[in-house]
Amino acid sequence: MIPFLADIDPLFKVLAPRPADWLSILPEIAVAGLSLVCLLQAMFLPKALRSLIPITARVGLVLVAIMALTNGPWVQPTDVASFAGLLRQNLPTDGVRMVFLLSALLTSFLAEGFLRERDAAVADYHHVLLVVTAAFMLLVQSNHFVTFFLSLETAAVGLYVLVGYLRRSEASLEAGVKYLVAGGLSSALLLMGIVLVYGALGAVPGVTDSLNFTQIGKALAAQAVTHTISPLTLTGIALILGGVAFKLGAFPFHTWIPDVYQGAPTPTTAFLGTASKAAGAFTLVLLATGPFAPIAVKLAPLLAVTAVLTLLAGNLGALATTDLKRTLSLSGVSHAGFILAAVTAVLVLPGVTAFGYDVEQVIVIYFLAYVIGTFLAAQALVSLPAVEDHRRPQLALRGLLRRSPLLASSLGFGIGSLAGVPPSVGFIAKLLVLTLLVSAKLWWILGAALIGVAISIHYYFSILREAVVRPTDADEELAPLEIPFGTRFVIGVLTAVSIIGGLFVLIGR
Amino acid sequence: MDTFPATLLALAITAPILVGLILLAGRDLPRSFSSGFAFGGFAIPAVLGPWLLVLWSNPSTAPQQFQSEGFWGFGFALNGLSAPLLAMTSLVGLAAGIKALTQEVEGRNTYLGLILFMLGGTLGVFGTNHLVGVYFFHEFALIPTFILTLFWGGEGRRPAAMQMAITLTAGAMASLAGILIAVDASGVEYGAATFESVALGLQNAKSIPAATGALVLFGLGTLASLFPFHSWAAPGYSAAPTPVSMLHAGALKKFGLYGIIVLGLSSLDITGGTLGTWFLWFALANVVIVGLICLTQRDLKQLLSWSSVAHMGPIFLGIWVCGVSGKADGLDAAAFLMVAHGLSCAALFLLANAVRARAGTYRLDELGGLAARTPILAALFIAATMASIGLPGFGNFWGEVGVFLALRDQSLWLQALVASTVVISAVYSLRAVASTFFGPASEALEKRFASAPFGDLGGAERFAACVLLGASMTIGFVPSLITKSVNPVAADITTTSQHNAKVPVKAAPAAPAKR
Repeated sequence: MIPFLADIDPLFKVLAPRPADWLSILPEIAVAGLSLVCLLQAMFLPKALRSLIPITARVGLVLVAIMALTNGPWVQPTDVASFAGLLRQNLPTDGVRMVFLLSALLTSFLAEGFLRERDAAVADYHHVLLVVTAAFMLLVQSNHFVTFFLSLETAAVGLYVLVGYLRRSEASLEAGVKYLVAGGLSSALLLMGIVLVYGALGAVPGVTDSLNFTQIGKALAAQAVTHTISPLTLTGIALILGGVAFKLGAFPFHTWIPDVYQGAPTPTTAFLGTASKAAGAFTLVLLATGPFAPIAVKLAPLLAVTAVLTLLAGNLGALATTDLKRTLSLSGVSHAGFILAAVTAVLVLPGVTAFGYDVEQVIVIYFLAYVIGTFLAAQALVSLPAVEDHRRPQLALRGLLRRSPLLASSLGFGIGSLAGVPPSVGFIAKLLVLTLLVSAKLWWILGAALIGVAISIHYYFSILREAVVRPTDADEELAPLEIPFGTRFVIGVLTAVSIIGGLFVLIGR
Repeated sequence: MDTFPATLLALAITAPILVGLILLAGRDLPRSFSSGFAFGGFAIPAVLGPWLLVLWSNPSTAPQQFQSEGFWGFGFALNGLSAPLLAMTSLVGLAAGIKALTQEVEGRNTYLGLILFMLGGTLGVFGTNHLVGVYFFHEFALIPTFILTLFWGGEGRRPAAMQMAITLTAGAMASLAGILIAVDASGVEYGAATFESVALGLQNAKSIPAATGALVLFGLGTLASLFPFHSWAAPGYSAAPTPVSMLHAGALKKFGLYGIIVLGLSSLDITGGTLGTWFLWFALANVVIVGLICLTQRDLKQLLSWSSVAHMGPIFLGIWVCGVSGKADGLDAAAFLMVAHGLSCAALFLLANAVRARAGTYRLDELGGLAARTPILAALFIAATMASIGLPGFGNFWGEVGVFLALRDQSLWLQALVASTVVISAVYSLRAVASTFFGPASEALEKRFASAPFGDLGGAERFAACVLLGASMTIGFVPSLITKSVNPVAADITTTSQHNAKVPVKAAPAAPAKR
């Protein structure tokens, strides 16, 4: 044997994935495989059977979700690193998987009819959607900046495609370009930050890999004790957090959101608003409570200020809009503020809980509520006939309660969940975050959150008002809307979950 | 039979919600079925509510017998304050339900279902002792209120519903913050945060954030239309459909007062220091300024809406004087008045709508002489007015007199000011009666009667009004029905409040809460 290979061999053996490593990401592999199946189906299925493609994707996603819920080797009850420290899994990461799977599943339900109506390919959309989903699922398990950046970029590239998917729509293309430029900037910030951290901590004794989260955490902890954290490291961390804030849509990196969300095809908007935002939120939690935890004292004020500004910017911005997609996109910014508030709470008071839930669980619950609310509202939007997808004025909702009580209730429960109206799961989610804030004694953020909620009632209820209020003009042309069975089913299930899900969260607490 | 009362309580709260759910799901259910079914949803609590009050007042039943787990994490329970309020709510609910059943509206099943939701939520507010649970049920009842006002409301419903939604949400959010901070300061687990445990925890708390009392007082005060956070109430009640005005002004609004008593007064020292001064001035403004506003009203429903705000004043004053003097009689009276006002206010809204149904208007200058055409309506309306201005024989008398008596140790100008409002209240109420039912009928009314003659009050509405006025007279003649239940808990709350205000109390340390 060649001598140096003998040296490499043991090293390689340490790094080489074990079978258990592959098993631990079986759900991600399954989703990625599913995306390929979609493509293969598109290639080989006769035209008449093409409608099977979204069904395959949905069945597959449900199966993967069941798999993620059952207790297999892919669910790690305690913190376990795999792939030689590239990934790290625990129970919260499994909960996060569910957020992404659910979001993808619901997007598929939205997209099928939507794309057919606009004569766009359904199979390709599902293919890209599933790739992005798998990438997001990997992203939140990252324990190393290489996996972190790679999965983030994989998802981002897919999302560029999904945003500009309607090639014949100028608005969609414009949004795609805007998202590409904004996303490119955020990736650049992130990469610059990673490089700075890598360089600044690379020379620290005892650190062999300054891209590994665990090692970064240890190095920062040691430096924090001796107060020797270099400005370079801090700059790097700030840039990384800026990149993440972009994904999350936190102030001041939220300016791209209204334009892109409005222009993107509505199913993509819903996916961006839920899965992509959730990815930003969980990476923030991952970084803030993981490698950057030793400098929590420095991060907390930064996050606190950002949380307050995000809450205010989102809510005040939404107040000034009349387009539904724009309003909901800016309200999404305010939800990012809630997430930032929750993360600040855990930085200020590590181990803080609300009704027995820790911060990661609270954020999972928050996002499940947010997913339900967003998709209920999006179902109503997609089912409403619109000449142009990017123009959905509030007035288009007029008389909805008469035209289709089902859609009106879908919108009502969705908006109710987003606004945090009891007994919806959205209320419980907000309650949990507020409880965290009280426990951590973050009065200023609590105040901003409460003012935000009061403001949000105005724009959320303006939407509802248009849908509910009895039209004064009796002769207005109001044709009843026919809702296909699949949509009815989704609305029914989501509505039920939005009502009893919240109670379920609090039972026995 | 041990948990029999608990079963009754759970049934009283869940029955309207379940019936409401079925009506909402079955929009196309035949009318005959849905009417009877909805009536059942209104009638079940109306039977169980007073029954529960009787059971509660019976010394042989223990408070624990009323407690149950509840299927959504918030246990059901009663206390001495909430038992009479629950009974009152159930009767107001029945009357509102009967009114709703007699109305011809679009989407009738949805309408009835939403009103049942409102009733169930309001009953839940008084049927649980969990702090977050109370808040939860309140919001649960509030949402149908907005929707009902938006779709089935009268003139000006759009701005009124929005104003109500925003103001009440802001108030609810402030109070939620106060509740959460109080629970946190008490050191009680959020899941176990009942009134009793939080009050106990706050007694032993090292420090309570200074803003807690203000958040609770002004947050919940907004919900109970405390001046200057009352601006939503009058337009809201005027625009809302009558059953909604009845339920909200009569019953749901009392949640704010109830919360102020069980959390604010008992543990957060809301009557002490600067906050107490503000509280007094605001409560006085409720009595005096809003009373003067009532004097200027020329629209019957507007007048009732404003007067329901004005009548909160004595209740606030009763709560205030209890905290200041350390004597329970102010609170006894305030709690009594809460129940009595619910009944009289709901009766007035009900009957005013009957006036409108006949005369086609609420404008006082276009009404007149109705007593000759509709003697029964006139008689009931006069009785309800007498009740609301606090004539002996009706429940409101005990409440108002009690509040005035409780103020006896306060300065003379305060007493004089409050007493003067009795005159104001009598002036605007009696003037409304006079211009509606007596004197010559207006020309428009004569014409209307000539073209479409209208009859006296229908049987169903007669029954509904009699339920409310009968209940008010019952507690007017037998006040012990309420006081037996209220007074022990009022005494406990007073002792706790004095302990928390760090005022030396002569009595021995607080006796373990019996009721």
